[in-house]
Amino acid sequence: MKRKKVIIYIIITVFILVGIAALYIYKEYTRTHTDTALLKPDYSLEATSLVKAFETDEQASNKKFWDKVIRVEGVVKDVIKDEKGFFTLALGDTSSMSSVRCSIDSVHSKEAANVQKGSLIAIKGICSGFNADELLGSDVILVRSVVDRKK
Amino acid sequence: MKILFAIIFGTTIAYQGLGQKYFTKNAKINFDATSASSPEKVEAINRSATCVLDTKTGAIQFSMLMKGFEFERALMEEHFNENYVESDKFPKSEFKGKIKDNDDVKYDKDGTYTVKVKGDITIHGETKEVEADGKVIIQNGKITAEADLSVKLSDFKISIPGLVADKVSKTAKITVTCSLEPLTTK
Repeated sequence: MKRKKVIIYIIITVFILVGIAALYIYKEYTRTHTDTALLKPDYSLEATSLVKAFETDEQASNKKFWDKVIRVEGVVKDVIKDEKGFFTLALGDTSSMSSVRCSIDSVHSKEAANVQKGSLIAIKGICSGFNADELLGSDVILVRSVVDRKK
Repeated sequence: MKILFAIIFGTTIAYQGLGQKYFTKNAKINFDATSASSPEKVEAINRSATCVLDTKTGAIQFSMLMKGFEFERALMEEHFNENYVESDKFPKSEFKGKIKDNDDVKYDKDGTYTVKVKGDITIHGETKEVEADGKVIIQNGKITAEADLSVKLSDFKISIPGLVADKVSKTAKITVTCSLEPLTTK
């Protein structure tokens, strides 16, 4: 009788453990990205300073900023809306081809739609690196960006 | 004299219009490695690729940051960057090639032109020659370029772990779409 009870306890324990593991796997598998608006920035700086940092030393800047949450402040050079309604905001020196290009998270498109060219704003995004081109200028790319607050 | 000036000026403008560089920094690259047995779509989009097209020679070039590919699932994106394409070691991918039948594209006339694009693509530090079917669409003077190509992941030394091997296609479909603007250098 006692042995039977032990076996039942073991079976119940195994079921609970399997259940917890299955729940963990399911949650991890279906995990979506955390809204950037809720993330604390790892670095906060001027858009022009971020571009300059990459232009001066791309390797060191990649090591420092890549995959980090960056908050940049700067003048809006361009507001681009594509045919599917996705926004990209370019921040930086208006006399230069180089910018911080922020691909806006679709959840936050509404905030981006109100941004005016020439205004000063702050944007938070995940740094995906630096794209330098002799003809097109050098751009730092932020993805999943959100408009942080207007200055 | 006036007529001569008009002819020279007009010819120069026409030449510039036909042989100009066009670009975008917002080219869209769609990556799809969904297999028949994938439980859900294995796809991502990069919306910040750059593209330059020389309409005179047909030379076309793309450049993109691998970390710029956005997946719906966070875990899928982490695996893509950390285990498959190793974005930290190989942050950029690029394509350099030519529109083979560029002479058939009338950039000054509205229309949809079916073309073949041939060139070298570099992903994960590996370069391979590829040929893709594409379209050049001219509408009201605006140029849109589209291309579809398939790449074998093993050609680029991208290995899929055995545990998920049947859930991810061995060949990824890459779709490119970009609306180009004339390039004016400052």
